[in-house]
Order: sequence, then C-alpha cells, then structure tokens
Amino acid sequence: MSREGVAPVPEGEFLVPIEKYMFAGVRLGTRVSNAYLEKRGFIFAVRHDGLRIFDLRKIDERIRIAAKMIARYDPSKVVAVSAKPYGWRPVEMFCKFTGCRPIIGRFIPGTFTNPRASYYIEADLLVVTDPKVDTQAITEAAQLGIPVVALVDTDTPFQFIDLMIPCNNKGRRSLALIYWLLAKLVLIERGLLKPGEDLPVPPEEFETRLREIE
Amino acid sequence: MSTQSAQQTSRQPTMFGIEVPRCTSCNRPISPDEKGVRFLCPNCGQAEIWRCEKCRKLGNTWRCPVCGFEGP
Repeated sequence: MSREGVAPVPEGEFLVPIEKYMFAGVRLGTRVSNAYLEKRGFIFAVRHDGLRIFDLRKIDERIRIAAKMIARYDPSKVVAVSAKPYGWRPVEMFCKFTGCRPIIGRFIPGTFTNPRASYYIEADLLVVTDPKVDTQAITEAAQLGIPVVALVDTDTPFQFIDLMIPCNNKGRRSLALIYWLLAKLVLIERGLLKPGEDLPVPPEEFETRLREIE
Repeated sequence: MSTQSAQQTSRQPTMFGIEVPRCTSCNRPISPDEKGVRFLCPNCGQAEIWRCEKCRKLGNTWRCPVCGFEGP
C-alpha cells in the first residue's frame, strides 16, 4: 500500500492504523486549490496529478476535538445532516450509536426556523457532511446561531463553519471511517465505552452499500 | 501630550449596564440582534467562544484564550 506523502510517525499515535486511513482515502482532497486551508496547515502536499493531500495528523486531531465538542451537547439536540447518498448510512449509523438526530436526503427549508412546521427540529449543534451540498442547513443554523461542525474538503466553502474536520467528504469508505471514529470517540467521551474499546460494529458497517442508492 | 492622550482615552465610549459579548476573533461587541454564535471551546471546554456574523461569514480564525486552540 502506498504511503506517499505521509511523514514518518510512531505507530499508535493515530486513532486507527495509518493503513486504514490510506485504504479509506481519508487524506485525499480535490484538484481545487484552497488558500484558506493551506494557510492553516491542513494541506500537507500536492500530488503530481494536482490532488491536494491532507495532513493526517490534523485530521486525527480534529476528529478528537470534534468528538469532544459533540459529547458536550444533549444528543437529542445534535443534528447530523447529509444530502449526499454516500453519507446517508454513515450518518444514520452515527446517530444510531450516539442518539443524535439524522437528516438524510433533502433538508426541508424551515426545519430549524419554522416552529409551526410539523418537521421542526430544535437543534443546539449541527454536524454537516458537505457544506457545498448542505447549504440550506448551514444557512438556517447561521440565522439561529447554532454552532456548525463540518467535514470539509478543498472545494468546500468555509462560511458559517465553527469547527472544520479536513477530510475527503466524497468517498464512501472515507465518510464511513470518519463517522465511525466520531461515534466511537463520542461514546468514549460520554463514558459509555472504555478508552481502548471499539464499537460493536466495524467501519465497513457504516459504508453505504451501492444497492441501497439504486 | 500625556494629558491629551488621557483625555482621548477617557472620551472613548464606555458601556454601562448589560455586558455585551465580544467577538473572540475581532473583539467587536456583538449586538443582541446580530446572528452571532456562542459555544464552549471544542478543545478544553472552559472558555466561551463568541463569533460575530461577519467573522463567521469571512471564516476568520478564532483562538481560545485558555488553551490556545485555533479554529475553525
């Protein structure tokens, strides 16, 4: 397996072995350059074909910090959103383990802002899979002053995001691994899992199966 | 000169009564009708971070005064 673009780090420093990160393609960005992320040290290298490579340490660090933040809120008031088909199952599984509220598919306008609507949800924290796609959710969160945690790639806008998790938010395996890690760490932070313990299901269970989308 | 500068500083508007939160990034007071956001520092959970609407829109960096964590 290629370890191109990865600085030598001692084993055990990361949440999962580097090979797992590599296999899931978590560190792969897009060909779009992003000065905002580069300036903040999220981008580690640019591959010869133009793909931006994220810094795995940053990804790891941000996942830990995001999990701490999510664990501080009441789970019934944390909303995880994904309009992307590849994010549906990861979000559902994440919410199943952590008790958060999933919104998959189309985000109906007024979900956060219209208290008279039957689909109204009172949220304290928003977890967004792709800010480029889940624009409506971010706009409503911005209107109400709800903090936003978002998975960002190099091509995503950075407006109204309060905590970024730089990663590949397009890959099926990548999204599964990120949400699996988030779920695991949130449960550890809440004291429901022991520090060395894993979730009862592997990250593969978080992956969207291609048949589900069809 | 020193008396002049002292007068100038004393002329700066001071707010009495309700304490207005200030944006952690730009240190500007956040008015109640503004769409700002408040959350505890994701890293340490001790400091309260306030971000004004403008800083959120521009993606300005905020820094936790307790642990030094920089976001977003």
